[in-house]
Amino acid sequence: MSWLHRSAAALVLLALWLVLALLLPNFVPGPVPVIGTMWGNIVSGEALEHLVPTLVRVGFGLSLTMVLGTLIGAVMGLSRVGELYLDSFVMVGLTVPAIVYGIICVIWLGVTDAAAVAAIGLAAFPAVAISVWKGIKGIDAELVAMGRAFRLSRREIVQKVIFPQLLPHMLAALRYALGICWKICTTVELIGMPNGVGYQLNFWFGLFSMEQVFAWTLLFLLVMFAIEYAAFKPIERHMTRWRGDAPLRLAV
Amino acid sequence: MSSISLRGVSKTFPRPDGTALDVLGGVSFEAPDGSFSAILGPSGCGKSTILGLIAGLDHPTSGAILVDGRPVTGAAPRIGLVFQRPRLLQWRRLGDNVMLPIEREYSRDERESRARRYLALVGLEGYEDYYPAQLSGGMQQRAAIARALAIEPDILLMDEPFSGLDEMTARRMREELVRVWRETGKTIVFVTHSIGEAVFLSQQVLMICAKPAAVRRTASIDLAYPRAYGDPAMFEIETGLTREFLAMTEKRTVSDG
Repeated sequence: MSWLHRSAAALVLLALWLVLALLLPNFVPGPVPVIGTMWGNIVSGEALEHLVPTLVRVGFGLSLTMVLGTLIGAVMGLSRVGELYLDSFVMVGLTVPAIVYGIICVIWLGVTDAAAVAAIGLAAFPAVAISVWKGIKGIDAELVAMGRAFRLSRREIVQKVIFPQLLPHMLAALRYALGICWKICTTVELIGMPNGVGYQLNFWFGLFSMEQVFAWTLLFLLVMFAIEYAAFKPIERHMTRWRGDAPLRLAV
Repeated sequence: MSSISLRGVSKTFPRPDGTALDVLGGVSFEAPDGSFSAILGPSGCGKSTILGLIAGLDHPTSGAILVDGRPVTGAAPRIGLVFQRPRLLQWRRLGDNVMLPIEREYSRDERESRARRYLALVGLEGYEDYYPAQLSGGMQQRAAIARALAIEPDILLMDEPFSGLDEMTARRMREELVRVWRETGKTIVFVTHSIGEAVFLSQQVLMICAKPAAVRRTASIDLAYPRAYGDPAMFEIETGLTREFLAMTEKRTVSDG
């Protein structure tokens, strides 16, 4: 049933787009020319040429941000002193606009992929750290005590009792971080990269080509959806299967 | 199987302000091999602390705890615990929950057959593949009892396991527990604040009074099993114990004031 609703939602969006394009033809290019342009980009190989560097930057940036965020979040969750120290750092990190990291990294590291990766890693890790921190704070102490009472080893308690409680928080963090990473990556590409989706957006903005701007945005959205449905949704469904959509209640 | 014996067990916890909080002040009792004892006392009087000490999760400040005549050390006797809440791992199926404490020791086949056997013993035959969230509170607590039994303990310690259940469910669970106890012959120590529950279940009721806790009186309940709710003899004992208990707490309050 859910796929039906999802397809219906997509159709509604498409219809809205069509109506807007008909009402404001000078401001909003219609779906047909935009999809045509996108297809043209794909066929010419240009789409792939710019999508791949963006994906690589996002991939490395996301990995960096997950490692950094998990480490800092773990320290904050496990140590009271660590929490006092890092709390304000994370708040600062969360408040600084992403573009600042982009500018600083490009100045430091030049127009390189490393600059993009570093900017992404720095800008997105606070969200991950907060997620992991809250996850550790939320660990059910009664379950840990149960594990101790049944003489589970330390390793078993971490593996079987604590880690599964953190996993949903980690997944939420990963998902959220991916969204942030995309946005930062395009911004950094816009201010100082020789290729990538952000670069293309900026290029076509310079030529005032609304069709191309829409076409690149749409391509971007499609890739995001593909990742969401091919990876995140199935993982999430697998991990939360024990909740059950409609809990089956049985009498004692 | 195992006997338990506590001799003058005291436990003092440090308060945050540095002073000492005496929770147990010389608790002594004997629970013979295969017996069913109830520890009865008001909330917050240190009943759970006694269980934690018997389980070896904590050490007494003074006094001795003997299981089969030997002092309790880290791992020696096998002790199964049942808590007030089921404390099941929500992301594991019921069978995997029951297997949790024995995963290191036994082969997959042995574990699974044990999980099946003990789930069946508590009336959950065929529920191995359900998740806890799919079951009622009473069924989850049964699974928790199966988990405690699956380690094939000599001793079963139960900390108000039915206090979170509605009275009708709790009644059925008590009957089932008596059946399981008689089938397995475990030594059970059952903590409760309900006089009726203590009288229905146990052979001896250890009446505990608050801070620092000590056994004020041991009442033996010489009624045949299985006992029936509404039995006048049981009601009489319960009334008597209630009167004693009230007198005991009143005296405490006067002397405290």
